Amino acid sequence: MAVRKFVVFLLSALIVLAFTTGCSKNSGGDKGATVSSETSTGSAGFGVSSKKLTITLWDIATEDPTKGIQERAVERFMTAYPNITVDNTHIQNDTYKQKLIISMSSGQCPDMYIHWGGGPMNEYIDSGFAVPITDLMKEHCDIPFLDAAIAQSMYKGDIYAVPFGGIGGSGIFYNKTIFNKLGLGVPGTIAELEATCETLKKAGYIPFSLANQNKWTGSMYFMYLATRYGGVDEFNAAVDGTGSFESPAFQYAGEKIQQWVRAGYFPDGVNSLNTDDGQDRQLIYTEEAAMMLHGSWQAASMRNDNEEWYVKNMDYFRFPNLASSDKPQNIVVGTSIGNGFSFNIHNDQDKLNSAFILATQYFNDDTYNSEQLATGRIPSIKGMGDTIEDHCMQKIWADFSSASNVQLWYDQYLPPAVGEAHKNTCQEIFGLTKTPAQANAELNKAMRDN
Amino acid sequence: MKKIASLVQSRQRSVRIAATVFLAPVIIIMAVFIIYPIVSTFSISLFDWNGISKDREFIGLENWKMLIHDRVFWFAFKNNLTLMVCSIGIQIPVAIALATFLDGAGRKVNFFKVVWFLPLLMSSVAIGFLFSYALATTGGIVTTISQSLGGGKVDLLGRAPQALYAVISVVAWQYIPFYMVYFLAGYGNIDINIYEASIIDGATRGQYFLHIGLPLLSPMIKSACILSLIGSLKYFDLIYAMTGGGPGTATELMATYMYKLSFSHFKMGYGSTTAAGMFILVTGFALMMQTILKGNGSSNDE
Amino acid sequence: MNNSRVKSNIAWTVAGILAVFWFMITAIPFLFMVINSFKGQFEMLQKGVFDLPDSWFPTNFIGVLENGFLSYFFNSVILLAICLTILLFITACASYPLSRMKFKLRGPTYALIVACMSIPIHVTLIPIFKMSTVIRTYDSIFALIGPYVAFAIPISCYILTTFMTSIPASLEESAEINGCGKFRTFFHIILPLSKPGLSTLAIYNGVAIWNEFAFANTLTQSRKAQTLPLAISAFKGEHSMNIPVIMSVLVLTVLPMIILFIILQEKLVRGLMAGAVKG
Repeated sequence: MAVRKFVVFLLSALIVLAFTTGCSKNSGGDKGATVSSETSTGSAGFGVSSKKLTITLWDIATEDPTKGIQERAVERFMTAYPNITVDNTHIQNDTYKQKLIISMSSGQCPDMYIHWGGGPMNEYIDSGFAVPITDLMKEHCDIPFLDAAIAQSMYKGDIYAVPFGGIGGSGIFYNKTIFNKLGLGVPGTIAELEATCETLKKAGYIPFSLANQNKWTGSMYFMYLATRYGGVDEFNAAVDGTGSFESPAFQYAGEKIQQWVRAGYFPDGVNSLNTDDGQDRQLIYTEEAAMMLHGSWQAASMRNDNEEWYVKNMDYFRFPNLASSDKPQNIVVGTSIGNGFSFNIHNDQDKLNSAFILATQYFNDDTYNSEQLATGRIPSIKGMGDTIEDHCMQKIWADFSSASNVQLWYDQYLPPAVGEAHKNTCQEIFGLTKTPAQANAELNKAMRDN
Repeated sequence: MKKIASLVQSRQRSVRIAATVFLAPVIIIMAVFIIYPIVSTFSISLFDWNGISKDREFIGLENWKMLIHDRVFWFAFKNNLTLMVCSIGIQIPVAIALATFLDGAGRKVNFFKVVWFLPLLMSSVAIGFLFSYALATTGGIVTTISQSLGGGKVDLLGRAPQALYAVISVVAWQYIPFYMVYFLAGYGNIDINIYEASIIDGATRGQYFLHIGLPLLSPMIKSACILSLIGSLKYFDLIYAMTGGGPGTATELMATYMYKLSFSHFKMGYGSTTAAGMFILVTGFALMMQTILKGNGSSNDE
Repeated sequence: MNNSRVKSNIAWTVAGILAVFWFMITAIPFLFMVINSFKGQFEMLQKGVFDLPDSWFPTNFIGVLENGFLSYFFNSVILLAICLTILLFITACASYPLSRMKFKLRGPTYALIVACMSIPIHVTLIPIFKMSTVIRTYDSIFALIGPYVAFAIPISCYILTTFMTSIPASLEESAEINGCGKFRTFFHIILPLSKPGLSTLAIYNGVAIWNEFAFANTLTQSRKAQTLPLAISAFKGEHSMNIPVIMSVLVLTVLPMIILFIILQEKLVRGLMAGAVKG
């Protein structure tokens, strides 16, 4: 009897101690089991469960370095809390959404899963596969996440996801060796960019490398041109029905793209090149093309392909301004949430707290963040990018830090069927098979039909 | 008389029993893994459902009405028909030619046989990758040939009509080996005595092929047509890997459309309707073709 | 006579040229796959996919083999063996009555099999996933046996029925006169005579099962249960893939199938069947 009482006492003592781990940015590293001297940032009752339990976690980290970084975060958590097993599965990106739908549909949704925010996240929430974590974030997490990242984790006024994958912006990677040779500077306006393209063309280079079979690659041009012309407001109005995708910003974007296609700024057969097969990077590596508008992750990919060549030849500049526009020109197209974790844990606050602590104190801790930075990824946390070494990523981070807004990728933000319509019509704009007016009318119809 | 009748009856009964025993395992497995999903697809087609939510709204035949007026679906169906006609028209004649060559030349061309079989072994990932370079507008094989003949660059995968035909050619390249092996086995099934007798009679290869080989192969050719028809109407793999349905929706097929609706657009209800519609169309076409060709394998003794 | 020999020589020459042409069309893409599997990613992209590699040292292959390729491989081999055995046996059983017996429901059964060929496989993913969780085979290779066999049945029955129909009826009748029942006739006469058909099925279904992705991806989750096609996605990242590494996975995946084909294709050669009849 006495022994039992003692055990109960010991356990509750441990639980109390466990609370004190709280949720703070610098609580990572080697936490000695449940003993921590840090002051609790949360109220009593918050902490990792002391019961034996299993948390299932799905992510898409199939390849190192991300895979190793995330696995180590999970290992640190399991070492600190041996009573908890994290059943971590990596699923390849291409079929991840399909697999998630199938398991949700069959009542086998994992406890904790990765997503990219936007339209699909809203579907998961509406269908009851994500619990709101607004209170947890307010009371038990003092990580200074980027405001835009929190905004992208929200739906109908509540927070549903913990960001962890790092920001993903987009901008123009360019071959500085070619630019230097031709005496070209970084263009500040779209007019200057066009002049740069003309110079490059005359010198025999393809101005932009673009592999648009995948559709989302060309979409970046459309998004940036529309955003430079009309800011985020015109897009939001087109989405909520107060405006339209047939409005001037989208018309401008479509026409500009076709003007550039006709002027030969893109490679021949642009819609047949495939970015997964590396055909856009190929044009950069063979030095046939001089610039490439792409996602910031390309920095890590190119570094991975050949670090020496990348450092010697590649640099980055932001998508230039449209001088004639009165809208803010410092908007970045991309994602600030990167990846978010949502939680499918209902009626078990203890388990939810445990998973939340894993997501905030082990993912997003110092060790995790420094490993992310070392491989060219910038966590969605204020001030985080200041120490990054990659020269392109430094500039991408500067853009992000000074951005007045982040326009989430259309195909992620829009309802999935509309996102698909956008990608299809945009590809037809590049193929000159639809006029911008036709394409935008079709997109607008898809939006209204949805 | 009575004795004979009962003998016939008992014979029929024993045939029935034997047939049931022989067919049972196959029927049971198909019922569980194929027929049950078909039924469930038809029932989901009556709901408005995103595929994951616990609530699904019964909407009767609304999805079906939408399907009938869905331009994308019928356009995709048209692409499937093009694929079907081209597949039957290209794959089967080429496969017959290859099999006839291998059969006539015998063991000395075994090496050819193995190499000719290779395309069937390659996964769609590899095929997609290799052909996106081989068919590239700049530096691709076709462009190189065209330029050496004084022509211009050829954009095969990025333009609407030719993208479909480019993929159809690759599909043909991939499946010809299967039909080749199929017909080769068909030749193997022809009694060696018939072959020897005809050669002794002084028939040339050509005569043998036209008057003996081809007629004996005809049941297999007919069933190959059915297989090719079904395969092309529900085709998915390479289109998804090589064009993703693009440019725009120019190479969309019924199966790729259905897949996108179900697994990326959160329209499982309508996606199932598309699948059910596709199932009806494919089965209908297959049975029609079967009736037209009539002499399918099972009816020779009817 | 002379004229026809000239004709025949011309015919063989033309056939030979076309054969070599086709040989190139089939061999060259395969060679590209092999060549690129020896390169580095940057090397491949910078020099172009059609160039020879700088070095023939199998770096990618070693990496792939060290990264657990063999576990995928053995899962695939076991699965293939189980599935083909079950499939060939029950398909042969089913094709026998369909091709050589008269009974009332034969027509409808045959139509049902054709209908089952027409189902798009993606709609079956959710019901079959549910089934696998209910019978607790999820995340093991046993979850795949059911769907693999089931989806191979319709086409296999269809093909084999066509084959069995072409077996001369006289053989079967003489067996029955000698007092063989349906079952003995099947095992002693029909089954041995169906070898070319069965070999075709083994080749076709073997390749299909070996390369199957959709079910394998849906019904397995951990590495202990995953098959070769999933090895490709395991070597693929979120935004990029190391193409030469994937090509080396594919080369390793294809080799066993080539060997299987070389073994089985002997059965397709004319004369074996005649031998079986005589023997």
